[in-house]
Amino acid sequence: MKILLVDDEEKFISRLAERLKLRGFDADWTTTCDGAILKAGTEKYDLAVLDVKMPCMSGIEIKKRIMQRAPNMKFIFVTGHGSEEDYDMGTKEGSFYIIKPFKIETLVEKIEQALNL
Amino acid sequence: MEKKIGRICAEGFSFFGMTNRLISHELKNILAIISETLGLIDELVALSDTGTKWKPGKLQSLSESVIEEVERANSIIRNMNTFAHSVDEFIREVDVSQIVNLMIEISQLDSPAKNVRFRLAENDDCVIYTSPFFLEKLIYHVIDFSLRGAGPENEIRISFDSDDYGVKIIFSGIAQIIIGEFPTKKEDLLAEILSAKVSLETTARELSILLPKKIGESFIQNLLPAD
Repeated sequence: MKILLVDDEEKFISRLAERLKLRGFDADWTTTCDGAILKAGTEKYDLAVLDVKMPCMSGIEIKKRIMQRAPNMKFIFVTGHGSEEDYDMGTKEGSFYIIKPFKIETLVEKIEQALNL
Repeated sequence: MEKKIGRICAEGFSFFGMTNRLISHELKNILAIISETLGLIDELVALSDTGTKWKPGKLQSLSESVIEEVERANSIIRNMNTFAHSVDEFIREVDVSQIVNLMIEISQLDSPAKNVRFRLAENDDCVIYTSPFFLEKLIYHVIDFSLRGAGPENEIRISFDSDDYGVKIIFSGIAQIIIGEFPTKKEDLLAEILSAKVSLETTARELSILLPKKIGESFIQNLLPAD
């Protein structure tokens, strides 16, 4: 399963990718919105884990742009806010939602649910 | 007058709420980095027990990054504490450059601000007698507007000009074409409280706040507790 991780915190996202790799996922990461859109357009990913609040645009906007290129991709939103408003936004988007900091097992569970594994 | 005071109080609470939101969000980011780093260290140690080797120095670099994140969190909490103390005394002597610096650091916790660099000029005498909390709020508004209107260089330069009248804070590097009105009623109200003047000079690509050495009499005195 190929996963794209997008978050502007490089240390966070690179380590998360490393830990997912140790669990058998083919995890790739980027810290920029352009990088995410470019990668999703050139490589085939099954799922993207997106930070809700990126400096350039929102995770929702990145999702919309990625879906133009990869309509079958699944999404999990990650946020540090954890407000009800964020939760509603994530679920309204038909996506999964996880609040920072989280246990990696919780993320793996959500990935498996999203991909029907 | 009561309506004005009501508006000011509501704005003040909202400003406190907003900074709390930014700070807690950033602290969660830091906790997430620490959590992932410690998780990775734990997994690498477990792997080494099975004979798997990793790059020399990896463990040290991971543990150093935990220390860096703790220092980052400490600096954010220090700023949060400084900000919280700004309401201890309604009016007092403040160093304008320190307040600008604090507001830059707080505003940079917001994601869109992370793309813009701020360059703060050295200065000697920027001490004035004013309301620290409302000055922070006005400076935050100006920084926020500067961010939205940052020019192609993505750099805002901030300098100070002080004379017998007071201190002028100049924000340079904003775009010539800016969407939206500025100052709005909110900044006008804050300027009124602080006896300040906010000006936008699009041709010079500058925004400025002129502050007197001593805050004048204004309706805000009604908020002060009676002696």
